[in-house]
Amino acid sequence: MAIDVKGVLSPLSAIGTLFEHPRTLTYPEVKKDIPIGYRGFHINNLETCVGCASCEEICMNDAIDMIHPDKEYNVKNTSGCIPRIDYGRCCWCSLCTDVCPPGSLKLDNICTHADCDPDNFLYMPKNHKNIGEEAS
Amino acid sequence: MKNNLKNTIKIFHGPQHPGITGNMSVELDLLGETIKRAQTHVGYLHRGFEKLVERRTVVQAFTIVCRICVPEPDPNEENFARAVENLAGLEISEKAKYIRTMVLEMQRLATMFLWMGGQAGSIGLGLIPQWSVCDRDYMLDLFEELTGGRVYHMYAFPGGVRRDLPEGFLDKLSDLLDYYEKRIIVYNNTFFDNVIFKKRAIGVGVVNRDEVLKNGYVGQTMRACGIQKDVRKDMPYLMYDKLDFDIPIQQDGDVYARAIVRRDEMLQSIRILRQIIKQMPKEGDILQKIPKHRKFKLPADDTYVQTESARGAMSYYMAGDGSEKIRRMQVRGPSLVHAYTLLEKLLVDSELADVAMTMNSLGICPPEIER
Repeated sequence: MAIDVKGVLSPLSAIGTLFEHPRTLTYPEVKKDIPIGYRGFHINNLETCVGCASCEEICMNDAIDMIHPDKEYNVKNTSGCIPRIDYGRCCWCSLCTDVCPPGSLKLDNICTHADCDPDNFLYMPKNHKNIGEEAS
Repeated sequence: MKNNLKNTIKIFHGPQHPGITGNMSVELDLLGETIKRAQTHVGYLHRGFEKLVERRTVVQAFTIVCRICVPEPDPNEENFARAVENLAGLEISEKAKYIRTMVLEMQRLATMFLWMGGQAGSIGLGLIPQWSVCDRDYMLDLFEELTGGRVYHMYAFPGGVRRDLPEGFLDKLSDLLDYYEKRIIVYNNTFFDNVIFKKRAIGVGVVNRDEVLKNGYVGQTMRACGIQKDVRKDMPYLMYDKLDFDIPIQQDGDVYARAIVRRDEMLQSIRILRQIIKQMPKEGDILQKIPKHRKFKLPADDTYVQTESARGAMSYYMAGDGSEKIRRMQVRGPSLVHAYTLLEKLLVDSELADVAMTMNSLGICPPEIER
């Protein structure tokens, strides 16, 4: 029976990779760059949100509840409510941001949240303005 | 049958088993190491996609379909979008068609890398899965940039696509294709030409050419038997009629022949993507204006669409009834026939160690069976 010499020797070329630089990142020292358009957590410009509940209506997972905030942000917000997202139900499809009439609700590229308390997964989208201040 | 099963022992291969391609199990009757009977069991994963779609508006339903096959969501999105467009009479722009074609081919490459990991891992070549999953991740990084999601892209929308190409995206894709071309040579040396893989895969899981035509097997299972059929050529959709590519075939019909067909298809996908990068229109609408989601009504009509996924032809039948909801949607993927009629036959008289390898080579995706 003939020996498949090529089939025996060619896999040995894998030894060359021992001298290559590793492709993995040494997390948490080095973190992966998350692109700008990534569908992460919600952010909302409360000064332009009109409380129309379009986001609540289109959400097929019933992940969005309209709740009363602690203070009034926008005088044109006739319902007085702003959206709160249940991240136990959200599938990050971004339909809520597509239908937002004033375009105040967006998805940010921040996507890490860890907490022991399940109630903290009822997430109140951060205000645009605050996020801008944090960045500066 | 009873005589055959005398002195056999029964074991369940799955649903919790690294050699199973998802949440399903194969009940095996073994005589020593030889399988005397195999029976596929599903039902661990039923999520009822088809029924869920009927309860939602068209816009809401589009986010579910990608979940029908986790490693390969885009053919589902494409089928859904095209079926709705057919029913609603929407015509999408050339640029949107090119972008969708590009996404389908990118997905094909990503799925092939994942398959390669499973196929090599199933015979104990532990290095290849680590490499191929890493290489797939580079494609997922591009998907992340284009669509905002790594696995579930939710990108192909009735009327076009949801986002335009980010700046410099095509250059990044071109660089990745250069890298993939070099990597396929490495995989050739370490996996496809590997004597261990050849010894294990040649002559195992042989599919008869006549059975392919009789039972409707698709994809690489069909093409590895010498049947040159591909939905992209036979019923061209999107921009495939303007792209130049070949349909690779093999003659032996075994696990090794299916692997070689897949490798050649990866090269063809790279060839297609290079043409798309050259031909991509600079201008053009990416999404047609569609009514608001409560007013987006489908006429009382039906349609049937087909897309060539990385595992074979994936078909959708869709019927509307004049309301904003879909009356009926039926999904027909390659996994059902491959997991039932084919896998059960192929496993008889094969070895226990070949179960995972044979299953991987058929491209079985359990969520697609239980849609």
